[in-house]
Amino acid sequence: MAVKREEETFERPAFDVFERMPGLDVGLTTAEKLLSWGARNSLWLFPMATSCCGIEFMATAASRFDVDRIGSIARGTPRQCDVMVIAGTITVKMAPRVKRLWDQMPEPKWAIAMGSCAISGDFYRDIYSVVPGVDTFMPIDVYVPGCPPNPDHLLMGIRRLQEKIRAKMEGKWVAPEPRPDIAGLRAPSIPRVGDPDRPPELDQAQLLASMSLGLGGEERRAGAPPLPRPPAPTGQPAAPATMKQPDERAPQTGASGSSDGAKKGSSEGGADA
Amino acid sequence: MAHPEDVIALCRRFGIEEIPDEGPVVERRDVLALARALKEELGFLFFVYCAATHYPADEKAGLPDRTLVAYRVRRLPSSNGRPTETFPFQLWVPTGESTPSLAGIWAGADWQEREQFDLVGTVFEGHPDLRRLMMPEDWPGHPLRREYAIETQHYPWR
Repeated sequence: MAVKREEETFERPAFDVFERMPGLDVGLTTAEKLLSWGARNSLWLFPMATSCCGIEFMATAASRFDVDRIGSIARGTPRQCDVMVIAGTITVKMAPRVKRLWDQMPEPKWAIAMGSCAISGDFYRDIYSVVPGVDTFMPIDVYVPGCPPNPDHLLMGIRRLQEKIRAKMEGKWVAPEPRPDIAGLRAPSIPRVGDPDRPPELDQAQLLASMSLGLGGEERRAGAPPLPRPPAPTGQPAAPATMKQPDERAPQTGASGSSDGAKKGSSEGGADA
Repeated sequence: MAHPEDVIALCRRFGIEEIPDEGPVVERRDVLALARALKEELGFLFFVYCAATHYPADEKAGLPDRTLVAYRVRRLPSSNGRPTETFPFQLWVPTGESTPSLAGIWAGADWQEREQFDLVGTVFEGHPDLRRLMMPEDWPGHPLRREYAIETQHYPWR
């Protein structure tokens, strides 16, 4: 065989058929080249455009840069596409949706992280609602840096993806070694709120940290008394000088129905809204 | 900012003598009647926004933990030459209490008040559907409150 199967990392659809047919080694190689040529020159893009990188993606698809000429067409459904281009900030609420769309794409599939927000979260990285990089929950093949990247940068990223596909299909792909500083990092698997597997200390620590500034969650253990609530307000807030009390109001003129409504309490007023 | 006479007359009826640019502060028990009068008598049909700001308790000034809710409504120009008129008003809500919802008067207040409930935690009483709008459904806490720290632990990998 031209390529040992255990060294092969890419999915080869025709491999099993050709392997059982003797004397077809030449045909196998030719078919692999044909499949590789077809796959890398018809990369249909699925634009996961959530913010300003999507504008650059549109510019890439428009006539000046014209991504069609390397065989890439943007389609609005994940079921017809090969490459998911994540262009923009992915929030915590959006991340499960992105993962679901990624799972709906047929194999073989690839992903491009376009822009610094998709790569690392950029300056939204420390915000409570932003995922610090989409590679924390899905695999990424090509990173296109920039804020936002130019359309030619995205074209370059697609070209790099084509080279990667060719190398993988020819069996020449060498997986890069992880850097030592990120080799130990792994995305933690935390069950959702409400799951029976989720440890209650997580909810407790998050609730405490959200309510009291500067206190660590490790001070609260299971069986501890309930968390301190902010003290209930004792009186009405000070009203500015422009607001008069109701008893020293100017005499009512006209529209008695409205003035009756004005004297209602807030609870009654809310009930008839 | 000059206001027309009918707006000034309505404000006098509710005890408001002066209309600053950011809007007069009204009592919570007055706001439903004021809103209904604004819409039905003066023709303020367009709800521009509702925005809430959380203020923590101030020990020196003796102020409790509270929220300032600011509204802005607009009257569109009519064919008889009446110009566009914008009327802001605001109210204080102590933490732990609620304020009447204006979604029954202006339908545009529905999602605006849902957003304020989601981010600041203001409870609008009588709202038809007071659920979270922007944050995930199982998110604990309200992120735009002052006690919500940037160091708050969160787990985005779900």
